[in-house]
Amino acid sequence: MSKSIKLESPLHYFHAALNRKPEPVKSPAGALFNDEAEYGLVVKEATLSAHLNLRGDGSNAHFCSEVTEALGLMVPLTPGTYQRNGNTSIYWLGPSEWLLVEIGGDAEELETRLRKTLTGHISIVDISGGQTCINLRGPGVATVLKKSSIYDFEAWDNATSALGRAVQTNFAKASAIISNKSDGSYDLVIRRSFADYVAQWLLDAGEEFGCRIEAEKE
Amino acid sequence: MSLNRLQTHTGTTLDFTFNGKAYQGIAGDTLASALLANGVNVVGRSFKFARPRGIFGHGAEEPNGIIQLGSGAGTVPNLKATQVELYQDLEASSVNGWPSVNYDVMGIIGAFGRLMPPGFYYKTFMYPKKLWMTYERFIRKAAGLGATPVEADPDSYDKLNQHCDVLVVGAGPAGLVAAREAARTGARVIVADEQSEFGGSLLASKQAIDGLQATNWVASLVAELRACNNVQLLPRSTVFGYYDHNFLTILERRTDHLGLTAAQGVRQRMHRVRAAQVVLATGAFERPLVFAHNDIPGVMLASSVSTYVNRYGVAPGNKLVVFTTNDNAYQTALDWHETGRDVVAVIDTRSNPSGDIVAAVKAKGISVIAGHGLIEAQGNQRVKRALIAPINALGTEVTGPVRRLDCDLIACSGGWSPAIHLSSHTGAKPVWDESIVGFRPGESKQQERSAGACRGTFDLIGCLAEGATAGAEAAKMSGYGEGIPQFPCSAVEEFVEQPQQALFLVPHIKSISRAPSQFVDFQLDVSASGIELAVREGFESVEHVKRYTALGFGTDQGKLGNINGMAILANALDQTIAETGTTIFRPSYTPTTFGAIAGRDVTNLFDPERYTAMHRWHVEQGAEFEDVGQWKRPWYFPQNNETMQESVNREGLAVRNTVGILDASTLGKIDIQGPDAAEFITRMYTNSYLKLAPGKCRYGVMLKEDGMIFDDGVCACLGENHYLMFTTTGGAAGVLAWLELWQQTEWPDLQVYFTSVTDHWTTATVTGPNARKVIAKVCSDIELSNEAFSFMDWRDGTVAGVKARIFRISFTGELSYEVNVPAHYGRHVWEALMAAGEEFNITPYGTETMHVLRAEKGFIIVGQDTDGSMTPADMNMDWVVGKNKTFSFVGKRSLYRSDSVRENRKQLVGLKTLQGSDVLPEGAQVVFDAKQKIPMSMQGHVTSSYFSASLGHSIALAVVKGGHSRLGLIVHCPLADGRIIAAEIVSSVFYDPKGERHHV
Repeated sequence: MSKSIKLESPLHYFHAALNRKPEPVKSPAGALFNDEAEYGLVVKEATLSAHLNLRGDGSNAHFCSEVTEALGLMVPLTPGTYQRNGNTSIYWLGPSEWLLVEIGGDAEELETRLRKTLTGHISIVDISGGQTCINLRGPGVATVLKKSSIYDFEAWDNATSALGRAVQTNFAKASAIISNKSDGSYDLVIRRSFADYVAQWLLDAGEEFGCRIEAEKE
Repeated sequence: MSLNRLQTHTGTTLDFTFNGKAYQGIAGDTLASALLANGVNVVGRSFKFARPRGIFGHGAEEPNGIIQLGSGAGTVPNLKATQVELYQDLEASSVNGWPSVNYDVMGIIGAFGRLMPPGFYYKTFMYPKKLWMTYERFIRKAAGLGATPVEADPDSYDKLNQHCDVLVVGAGPAGLVAAREAARTGARVIVADEQSEFGGSLLASKQAIDGLQATNWVASLVAELRACNNVQLLPRSTVFGYYDHNFLTILERRTDHLGLTAAQGVRQRMHRVRAAQVVLATGAFERPLVFAHNDIPGVMLASSVSTYVNRYGVAPGNKLVVFTTNDNAYQTALDWHETGRDVVAVIDTRSNPSGDIVAAVKAKGISVIAGHGLIEAQGNQRVKRALIAPINALGTEVTGPVRRLDCDLIACSGGWSPAIHLSSHTGAKPVWDESIVGFRPGESKQQERSAGACRGTFDLIGCLAEGATAGAEAAKMSGYGEGIPQFPCSAVEEFVEQPQQALFLVPHIKSISRAPSQFVDFQLDVSASGIELAVREGFESVEHVKRYTALGFGTDQGKLGNINGMAILANALDQTIAETGTTIFRPSYTPTTFGAIAGRDVTNLFDPERYTAMHRWHVEQGAEFEDVGQWKRPWYFPQNNETMQESVNREGLAVRNTVGILDASTLGKIDIQGPDAAEFITRMYTNSYLKLAPGKCRYGVMLKEDGMIFDDGVCACLGENHYLMFTTTGGAAGVLAWLELWQQTEWPDLQVYFTSVTDHWTTATVTGPNARKVIAKVCSDIELSNEAFSFMDWRDGTVAGVKARIFRISFTGELSYEVNVPAHYGRHVWEALMAAGEEFNITPYGTETMHVLRAEKGFIIVGQDTDGSMTPADMNMDWVVGKNKTFSFVGKRSLYRSDSVRENRKQLVGLKTLQGSDVLPEGAQVVFDAKQKIPMSMQGHVTSSYFSASLGHSIALAVVKGGHSRLGLIVHCPLADGRIIAAEIVSSVFYDPKGERHHV
């Protein structure tokens, strides 16, 4: 597509939004984020990515091996988990439903690859335009999650680079798929139409720590 | 130095005002201790009799010191002075007492107290009923229930969802050691205490624990807990509710102690805690003794006197009389003696008190008068003397002459009542225990246990042991540790206490009904005689007596008065306290601000606003918005100070005459895939999709099982076994859930998957005679001729360089192209379409014009023209019902019920007002005979009504009984303003009845 096509991510109008000039945050966790230690909550929106909703029978070994063949990734069958390989992640949403996200990926190419390999009763739906992936990091994250969700994130084991925990749950009065990362930060997949609300909620919830929203650098 | 401040107590001076008068306190004071230090006797007036009242307690039990904090928007009513931490420039006033606490017009009524028996309000003010509103205003003002601010609350509140293995409620001795044992195991522990400092009763104790002074022992234990990263300490945090599944709510006051204006960040935070296990260590309240005029300022709880002396360095008087039924209150005599002020005597109702502490008091030369009761306090705005007399061993009669003791302070103690409130919240029924003369927590249905004084264990060593066991046990049951306390038992020296006497009403020389008022509930002026009167009037159940007398109804929830009241009731009914039982405590334990319950879900965060990808473009164009579900949709686009009607006229004419553009992104969209997709869709819609070919669309109506219209929309066949279903904007989530419900529960054998794609697609509808020309300018890879791309077809193609899907669906009756692109490209494509349409004066239009245009065509809106009681036939849409489908469809059977097929059902018709300029209000009732007397026979109502610029007159859709067979009838709509508008029943299709315009 032409370079003149103007793209707008769901948080387009919030990039570089700050809620205030925050006090320096002195926290051991702050050391992880030297360049922005003064912000207790940094929200970074990923580049536009491929998001596919995948339906199929998780109890069918054939289906699972086909997905692995197409993606080089195991289908997570344990509720509340995800598997990751590089930029590609597959999140468990239900016994027959997964979310596939390839950061910066091309949804059409990914769908074609899957359709070539997968057989039987399946469904693959491109939902890339309908959602976005944001990363929450900083010493304020744990508290902000407690403000926003009734889920017990502290009970999760730490993530590795290849797998971790994920839950689809309420986030304030919107919904999100929330997962942990090996660096201690959290990824949220949120819906586009709720993105303005979520951004305002995060700026508000992060106010006590100082919060800023930014875009992934291309 | 203030009047009653002890020389030994120093600190930063804080200025404050109370009822407009300036005082000074010391950092660490509560408002109550500061007022006592300044010798302020009267802090409020009682609810009913307006009697002067002083500080009585030192915590949540305080019935009298109810104050209004601050003024203006931030003012807070009904706080207890005993719980308000003093800060610089604090400003407070009494809530009771009008016009002032010292001179009170209600005092006149107080003088006639006997004229206001229990049930007085019911008996006097309820009739005549219409005057209640007048009475109520007077009563409220007179009673002083505080003033709510009229401005918006300037403060911020929020909520945290917490999870822990062990929640310890209360950080007194039992709670602290419980927390220590639980923390040691690695369990996640939260400790909440309502006071500013941890320690509970130990903060006012002079006992030694493990060789340390109590306060130092507390400090070291708290430091130990603070160092654990699995422990969260919450001071100033009241656990105010205990709900099912071990869900508890905590109100944390974060900035209240800093003052109303100094507040930064959130003022109060509500913690919503899911705890695996709970340890309740909420302590106990000292029980006052009920004697004549026990409400005069200067009568206090014994433990409160000790607390003011030991913790706050305040001696609230000069000459103390201690009145007790137990050993415990002797400590107050010792504490007072230490200040150097006079202990007049200890009056003990027991005939032969003999404990160690009694000996210790006597050794100080303090007079102990045993076998006596303090039968009456005397004084006006302050106690002047006490009347004492010998009483019998049962405590029921005065047996000898009355003596006077001059004093200005009476410290009374009738024993201790465990704070079983939170345990009661769980549904546990309190159990009366004669040995502690109090209710113990009953057997609980939740994962909790009580420890220490709230369980009826009043000695310190017992509290520490119970706390340790409870903490270890709770940790084990949440999966941590062995369940056995690991820390050695603390060494404590304390007096062994002798048995107390159970005494709930001190006898007087006169009978209960003749004696001066013996108050049970201070806040609501319930006296012993009032409870007896209630019994004489026939009330037997404790719940009824509570409501009749108002016992325990105040903001202190009867923390002091309930046990005495129930005992007096039991006695009047001639039954035991166990038989009488107790009323049940419910949340909130203490009053909770609405702000904290609302949290951040206020103003712009109250409800999510959902935006389409073009939202900011609409804002930039000055669109007015309409709420559709949570969506913000452009309503109309006013230009040059147009009125709404002018905008809608202009927008509608543009669509009819050239071309308009609508943001239709909010329509629900569901992707459906699977070998049985067509079969499934055919079962959900009234018509069939089995033969719908790829590239084609079909309009369908969905019914609930009752045959009534539930949703409608277009369904497109995208490919083999692949469909896209459009739903109404508001119905999207409900339809998806409906599909899943039927697939999962009724037809799991059908292989089909559903996925919401509402947010993925952005839809721009280009509609009007010039629509094709506009599309042609931005799309070159689709053959757009009517032959190649007909009405109800869809095509894949490229629009403005973006891969798009175009549907030829029309909700306006004009040639229409619905351009769908992934939402990231939404604004780009929208702007490209606007540019392409410029030469045709393309006009953006909003939902109002959309409504007018579709109404001109007689297209229904589900939820506006239907209300859940309309069948397709009622809507004149029988054509959409496939009667010959092999398999049934949801709702089919109900279409043939006798009620569904009866004549005279309300049916959709058009209404054309006889005066074309009259626009009927939506909701207007339709009658056939305008001259009929009220009540008239309602024959239907208007569902949609607009002025149609294209037609030059008003149009309306209505549902009218038997309407389909009444075309041509003149009906009447009587309006609220007295006008009656006449209209003719016409076809619901007003514009282009043959449907030629969208087929071009």
